Amino acid sequence: MDRRTFLKTSAIITGMSLVSDQHVFSKTQEPVSLVLVKDGSPAQMADKVFELLGGVSRFISKDDYVMVKPNLSWDRRPEYAATTNPELVSAVVTQCFKAGAKKVLIVDNTCNDARRSYKNCQIQEMASQAGADVRFVRDSHFVETDIPGGITIKRWPIHKEVFKVDKLINMPILKHHSLSQVTIGFKNMMGLVGGNRGRIHRPFPEKIVDINRVIIPQLTIVDAIKILRRNGPSGGNLKDVEELNTVIAGTDRVLVDAWSARIFGKDPNTLKYLKLAHDAGMGEIDTEKFKPVTFSYKS
Amino acid sequence: MKQNRSITLRRTAQIAFLGLFVLTILQATYPFRPWIPPELFLWADPLTALVTQISGRFFDPVFLIALLVLFSPFVFGRAFCGWICPLGTTIDISDRIIANKNYRSARKYRPLKTTILVTIILFALFGIQLSWYMDPLPILWRSLGVLGMSFFFLLTDTVLNGFFNAGIFPDTVLNIQDKISFALFPVATPRFLILFLPFFIILGILLLSKISRRFWCRNLCPLGALLGLISKFSPFQRVVNEEGCTSCSVCQKKCKMDAIEDDYYTTEKSECILCLNCRKDCPADAITYKFQSPKTMRSSTDLTRRSFIGAGAAALFGSGLFSLNVLDPSKTDRCIRPPGSLHEDDFMERCIRCGECVRICATSGGCLQMSFLETGLEGLLTPISKFRIGYCEYNCNLCGQICPTKAIQPLELEEKQKLKVGIALFLKDRCIPFKLHENCIVCEEHCPLPEKAIKLEEKEFTDPETGEIRMISYPYIDPDLCTGCGICENRCPLEGEAGIIVTREGEERF
Repeated sequence: MDRRTFLKTSAIITGMSLVSDQHVFSKTQEPVSLVLVKDGSPAQMADKVFELLGGVSRFISKDDYVMVKPNLSWDRRPEYAATTNPELVSAVVTQCFKAGAKKVLIVDNTCNDARRSYKNCQIQEMASQAGADVRFVRDSHFVETDIPGGITIKRWPIHKEVFKVDKLINMPILKHHSLSQVTIGFKNMMGLVGGNRGRIHRPFPEKIVDINRVIIPQLTIVDAIKILRRNGPSGGNLKDVEELNTVIAGTDRVLVDAWSARIFGKDPNTLKYLKLAHDAGMGEIDTEKFKPVTFSYKS
Repeated sequence: MKQNRSITLRRTAQIAFLGLFVLTILQATYPFRPWIPPELFLWADPLTALVTQISGRFFDPVFLIALLVLFSPFVFGRAFCGWICPLGTTIDISDRIIANKNYRSARKYRPLKTTILVTIILFALFGIQLSWYMDPLPILWRSLGVLGMSFFFLLTDTVLNGFFNAGIFPDTVLNIQDKISFALFPVATPRFLILFLPFFIILGILLLSKISRRFWCRNLCPLGALLGLISKFSPFQRVVNEEGCTSCSVCQKKCKMDAIEDDYYTTEKSECILCLNCRKDCPADAITYKFQSPKTMRSSTDLTRRSFIGAGAAALFGSGLFSLNVLDPSKTDRCIRPPGSLHEDDFMERCIRCGECVRICATSGGCLQMSFLETGLEGLLTPISKFRIGYCEYNCNLCGQICPTKAIQPLELEEKQKLKVGIALFLKDRCIPFKLHENCIVCEEHCPLPEKAIKLEEKEFTDPETGEIRMISYPYIDPDLCTGCGICENRCPLEGEAGIIVTREGEERF
C-alpha cells in the first residue's frame, strides 16, 4: 500500500466513523465556531478540537493543499513555550491527511537562525514524521503583495505559497509580548511576512491588522498548553512558563484571539489591534456574548 | 608503464589531500559534528605550529602532529609540497592553464623564500605573528573556506532559485536547497565585507605562475623553504644513470621546480618536490628515485649573510614600528572580538587568519567578518563582529570550538552564554522611542537572555503639537545581564546605523 492509497483509505474510514457519530449530527442546526479543550494530551486535544468543530472534513477537502503555520521562530526547546507545541502540530497535520489533504506545508520566517530554530523547537522532526513538508523560508519565496484596504501598509512582501494553498491553519502559541501585551494568531502571521519586519512594529496595531487583511486562515488553533507569562516572545526561562493545558480553536480569528487573551488574563477590549480588526469586520470581539463549546478530559 | 603508474599515484594523492582539505572546510558548519577535525591541516602545518607558538609564547600538544610533516624531509625531501600540499595542488591545476612553461625564468628569486621564512621567525621572536601573510595552508583555508564557499553558495542559490521561480520542479529544488542548508550552509547566502583582499592574495599567488610554473613554491613559500632546508639531508632522491643519460635536457626543461642543474645529474634537493615527472619524461629511462646516502651540498636557497642581516634588520625595525603603533588599534573603533578571545595582544600573536571562525559563524548567527583596517594594519583579516550584518547566536559557541590556535578559547555553551563581548548602548538621538516617541521594542523582543537584558519603562508622553497623551515603552539596558550578542543592533528596524549599538565596555577577555 503506498502513501496515497493509505491516505485515501484512512480518509474514507475517518469519514465513515464521523458519519456514524451521532454527536456531530445532534448539533447540526449551526456549526460550532469556537471550541476550548482542556487537560488532554496534545494529540487528544487536537482530535477533540476537530471533533467539536464538526469534523476535520469541514475544513479540509480531499486533495487540498494545506498550509499549517505554527510558531517555529525561536531557537528554544518546546518546554520554554516560545514555539508551538510540536505534538499538537503533528496531530493537526495527521488530521489534515486523514481528511485527504494532498500536501501539508509548514513554513516560518524565523527570528533566530532557521536551522537551529526548526530543529530545537522539534516541529521540523515531528511534523515531518506526520507527513508534512517542513520548509525553510528564503528571500526568493516572498512576493510583493498589494494589501487592499490597508491603512498603514499598501504593499509588503508575503510568502507566495499563502496565495497558492487551498486552506491555511494558523497555529500560534499564547505568549507574552511587551508591545501587544500578548501575542496570538494575528501576530503569528508575521512568520509569513518578509522585508524589514521590525518596521511593522510602528504603529504595530494598524500594521498587524493590515498584514492580516491578505493572510486569512480558515481555522486558528491556539496552543495554550504551556504559555509564556513574561519575557516573551523569545522566553528562555522556565520560571516564566505556566501550564494551562488548553487548546482554543475557531473559525473567527478575532474571537479566537479575544478568548485567548481573556485566558491569558487580558481584557480583549484593551488590545488595540483586536478592536481595529473587529472594526474592520474581521470578526467578533465580545467574549461575553460568544462563548466556546468547552470540553475537559478531567471532568 | 610502471613509471606512469607512479605519476597516477602522485596525482591521486594530490587530489585526495585536496579533497580531504575541502572536507575539513565542509565540516566547519552548524550542525557541528566533525569526524575529521576542521583544524587538521593547520595543526599539521609546521610553519603555523612554529611561528604561532613562538610569537604567542605557548605550547599546545595538538601541534605535535606538525612534527610528522616537519620531519618528513629527513626521509622524503619536499614530497609534502609535491604530493600533499593542497595549495601546491591548486597551483598545479591552475598552472595547466596559465603557467609560463619557460623552465629557467626568474631563478634569481629562489633565495627569497628562505629570507621570508627567517623574517617571519624573527618577527615571531619579537612577538609578532606574520606567518598568515605567507603560510600556504591558512591562505588556502580562507580562500576556499570563506571565499570559495560564498562563490559556491551564490552559484547554487542563484541557479536553484532560478529553477524555483520559473516553476521547474519546485519541490525538488526546495528539497535540494533544504538538504544543502542542513549539510553545508545557512539558509540565506552568507555575505562578507572585504572578500576582495583574500581574493587578490590567492589570485596573485596563482597568477605568479605567469612568470614560471609553481612560482610561489619555488620562490616565495616559507613552508617550502622550511622543508627545503631539511630536505638537504633526505636520502630518498633523484639518481641519474650516467651510462643511460644522453644529456638531452628534457628533464631539466620539464622540471616544475627548476631543481635540475646544468649537468643534469645534480638535483637541488631543497627544491625537488619528488613529483617524479622527470623519471616519466626521460627518453632514455635513465632516471630513478631511490635511497642513497645524502651528500650535503650548498644550495642556492641557502641564506646568504647579506639576506640574513636584511631579514634581521627588517624584523627589528618592523617590530619596532609595530611597537610604536598604538597598543591596541582595535580600541580606536567599535571592534568586538568573538566570545572567548584572548587579550588583544595575545590574540594578535595567535590569530593566523585562516577564516575558520568566520566560515562557521556564517552558518550560524553570521556576525563575524574579516577586518580590514579597523584593527590596524597588524590586525588585517582578524575576525571582528559586525552586528549590522549578523549577530552572535545565543545557543552557539562554535567559533571557539574551531579556532586552531585557540586565539578564541573553546567555551562550554553555558559559559559562553554568560560571557560579555561588550554591552549594548542606546543611541537616544536615533532610537525610535526616544527620538520619535513611538513604540518599537524590536530589540527587547529579540533579546535572548532569559531575564532580558533590555527592559522597558512605560511612561506618558504628551505630544507637544497635538497635546495628545500616549503611553510609550522606553527601553533601557541592564548592563549586568547584557552580553553584547548584538541581536538588538542587528534587528533594529532603522536603516543605516542602528539605534542601539554594542560597545566594548565590559568586554571579558582571556
